[in-house]
Amino acid sequence: MLNPGEKAYCQALLALKSKNYRLAAEEFEKAAPLFKNDREVNLIMEKTRVLVAVKKKLAVEESDAIEVEETLPYG
Amino acid sequence: MKTDFSLRSLEGLLEAFLERMVHLKHRRLGVLGGINRLDDIARYTDSNEITDEVGDWFAVHNRWLTESVLKPADIDRIGKMLGEINGHISAGSGSSPATRKVVQEIDRWQKKTGRIRGKLVLKRGSESVEKSDNSDTISLFGSSLEFSSALFADLSGGKKHLLSVLDDSLKSAVVQKNKQALLLSAYLIYYLKLNGYIVDPFVKRLKAAERLHKEGNTAHA
Repeated sequence: MLNPGEKAYCQALLALKSKNYRLAAEEFEKAAPLFKNDREVNLIMEKTRVLVAVKKKLAVEESDAIEVEETLPYG
Repeated sequence: MKTDFSLRSLEGLLEAFLERMVHLKHRRLGVLGGINRLDDIARYTDSNEITDEVGDWFAVHNRWLTESVLKPADIDRIGKMLGEINGHISAGSGSSPATRKVVQEIDRWQKKTGRIRGKLVLKRGSESVEKSDNSDTISLFGSSLEFSSALFADLSGGKKHLLSVLDDSLKSAVVQKNKQALLLSAYLIYYLKLNGYIVDPFVKRLKAAERLHKEGNTAHA
């Protein structure tokens, strides 16, 4: 059977394929120790991590904007 | 608002990069997906469920045997998993036609990929002079080149320079007494020499690896 790191790496790439970036980032996190010296994998991991952070930030800003819109009509 | 715009464009950029990567590696992702699925199956405990799922797996992935998409490490991983699955099935209850079919498929896969299961019996027949056939040497060399190419793909993953690949290849030739690694090392050394690199230390290591390989062969004879 695959070791946990290899399994996580497979799951991460499959998650990327289905554009589930949050899951991909989580799985990459588990696989990271196995790929310490692999530049290509590290680059993909890092880009995924940053993308998830950007999405999180955007979601927070969007929910803030909705709250402002809801507040305005009621003063 | 400006931050929002910057974040949106960064999001688009990163998504485009990752989508392109997925597109470029779609074949490799297909292989990893298949290996991952087989690993899931190997973790099942119900032998009937395993039989059904492996049957489906073979239906989808048997084409890998003819498409040469697998790296040597993939073949090794799949072989080990199929071995474990075979163990589960054999330990399960009874022998249905479906089970027998799956076991046959596993055997066929292992034989085609060079992983023959079961007891290995070494016999030595009478000595004879090897016949050399031109067509055989050509196909044998062709297979050897293919194998070297796959080995190179495996060893070069994540490396920054060809010298690092050569270093790993020589280590593999010494530690594992791997003949293909020995051939690949020789090829890399000559390539680097023609491109102006100092290769003397590597030639010494190659000769040492070659000696070990010969000694190994003599010991087995």
